[in-house]
Amino acid sequence: MENMYLPYRMFIEKITEEAPLVRTYRLKFKNPQDEEKFSFKAGQFGEYSVFGEGESTFCIASSPTRKGYIECTFRVAGRVTKALANCEEGDEIGFRGPYGNTFPIDDWKGKNLLFIAGGIGLPPLRCVIWNCLDLRENFNDITILYGARSVQDLVYKHELEEWNNRSDVNLITTVDPGGETPDWKGKVGFVPTILKEASPKSENTIAAVCGPPIMIKLTLPVLFELGFNEENIFTTLENRMKCGIGKCGHCAVGPYYVCKDGPVITYKELQSLPQEY
Amino acid sequence: MEYRKIKIDKLSNFINAIIAKNKKLLAPKQKKEKVFFAEIKSFDEIAKNYIQTAFSAKSAVFPKCEELFSYEKINGETVLKNPPPPENDTVVFGVRPCDGAAFDYLATFFLKENPDFHFKQRYDKTILIGITCESGDEFCFCTSVGISPSDTRGLDIMLTKLENEYYVEIITDKGSKLIQEFSEYFENAEKIDKTKYTANIPEYFNNKLVREKLSDAFAWEKWDESSLPCFGCGTCAFSCPTCTCFDIQDEANPYGGSRLRLWDTCAIGLFTKHASGHNPREKQSERWRNRVLHKFLYTDEQFGTLSCVGCGRCSRNCPASLSIIDQVKAIMEV
Repeated sequence: MENMYLPYRMFIEKITEEAPLVRTYRLKFKNPQDEEKFSFKAGQFGEYSVFGEGESTFCIASSPTRKGYIECTFRVAGRVTKALANCEEGDEIGFRGPYGNTFPIDDWKGKNLLFIAGGIGLPPLRCVIWNCLDLRENFNDITILYGARSVQDLVYKHELEEWNNRSDVNLITTVDPGGETPDWKGKVGFVPTILKEASPKSENTIAAVCGPPIMIKLTLPVLFELGFNEENIFTTLENRMKCGIGKCGHCAVGPYYVCKDGPVITYKELQSLPQEY
Repeated sequence: MEYRKIKIDKLSNFINAIIAKNKKLLAPKQKKEKVFFAEIKSFDEIAKNYIQTAFSAKSAVFPKCEELFSYEKINGETVLKNPPPPENDTVVFGVRPCDGAAFDYLATFFLKENPDFHFKQRYDKTILIGITCESGDEFCFCTSVGISPSDTRGLDIMLTKLENEYYVEIITDKGSKLIQEFSEYFENAEKIDKTKYTANIPEYFNNKLVREKLSDAFAWEKWDESSLPCFGCGTCAFSCPTCTCFDIQDEANPYGGSRLRLWDTCAIGLFTKHASGHNPREKQSERWRNRVLHKFLYTDEQFGTLSCVGCGRCSRNCPASLSIIDQVKAIMEV
């Protein structure tokens, strides 16, 4: 039997400063055999660790279509993320995963996709966005609505530019009022307001929403107003986690474990859970 | 199932012989005013005349703190190492039927899905010798959760004290092997009815109705009121034979270190607190509710079994005198 707590040993190939206290690490396997047997799907997450400091949970922010590496984006918040932020390119990192369920993108063939993200909520969607863009012919219209508190808080700035320049992606970026800079070309306003303004069609459309709880709370009524039904709205949950495999109990929401039954969930399924997320 | 008997005076020889064979023997042992499971080196150390140990023998298979792996830095490379398996068998003597049922639940929880390497290493080398309860106290309620004070569930061997001897039930292969190894102490026996030798534990509520009655209990308006004395110390969880929650922490030294898992509890606020500061279970009453519903509702949905075995430790040890019996009764009466 395998010791499921043994991490893969990886090294940081590239560090990108995204926003204040927010970084993206590109990680590669130290052992080529580990890389060969490793695979994951959009929506899954992992436990990233600095030996001697502990583990922290983040989604895999890169797409499974991009082989040979994984990426994670994190904000410095506690002991482990502080230790991670002190790492440099070439340094070693532990990784366990992939864990959790996935976005059912095979079922989304032929549909329009609407991604709505707020702040640090873009990394979990970035994985599925690139996954869908790399299989672009499988989907109809792709719309991405991304908002942050201020221009400097927007993550993946280069990729936003790339999506903006693509004719097959409709990107709408927005910042909260007061968060704009003189040369800001995007919208100014909160995500739910901008969503209402853009009013994307709900017919044959899947919506995936990820962001701070307050954004999700105010975005959902707009989606319902636009005609989206509960089965076609996906989100990805976050709860404090330790083991990632349904044992430590931290992420439990009633009988549901975010780590193994989630983190990807439809709004309809969410309704059946106690509000403990 | 096979049956044996052993004379009362032979039991000490049997236990001492197990110890002499280099097996680790855990048994109830008096420590100041309480009784705990501890390693013993002689039968005489075993406590007599107690109702229940303060803690169960859960730590034999799921220790308070254990190494998940160790690591060492060698020439700039990190070398990871599994913890070694236990060398010898551990025999746990004097397991109450409620605790036996708890081991059964632990095995289901840890091994059914994503089997746990560390639990399995210990569990495979642990032999549980249970003993039928001759009496209970006001905290015992095994019969309310579908367990009897002479239940053999989860145990390898079961002893029941008769007039001049112990009646021995051999439940599993593990148990059978142990009896064979020490067969000189045992005599053959026929199956008997244990009722006469078994404690009478009153049934406070009907376990078959618990799930149905508790299915809407999340929205019960009296959680705040009923949990008011709870201040979140976690004693209930740490003395619970079925609590499985843990934390993972690193311990480092200049050359390497270990990743450890340590018992944790949903009774404390930090258990669910996000890095952002958001806490899905902000109030103590929400944490208490989670504990009660986890034991009596959620695991029934997950594994088809309640995860309370009615040992009564949470109430017996609670510094605020919260009674789980009263709590479940109150919800069921709604």
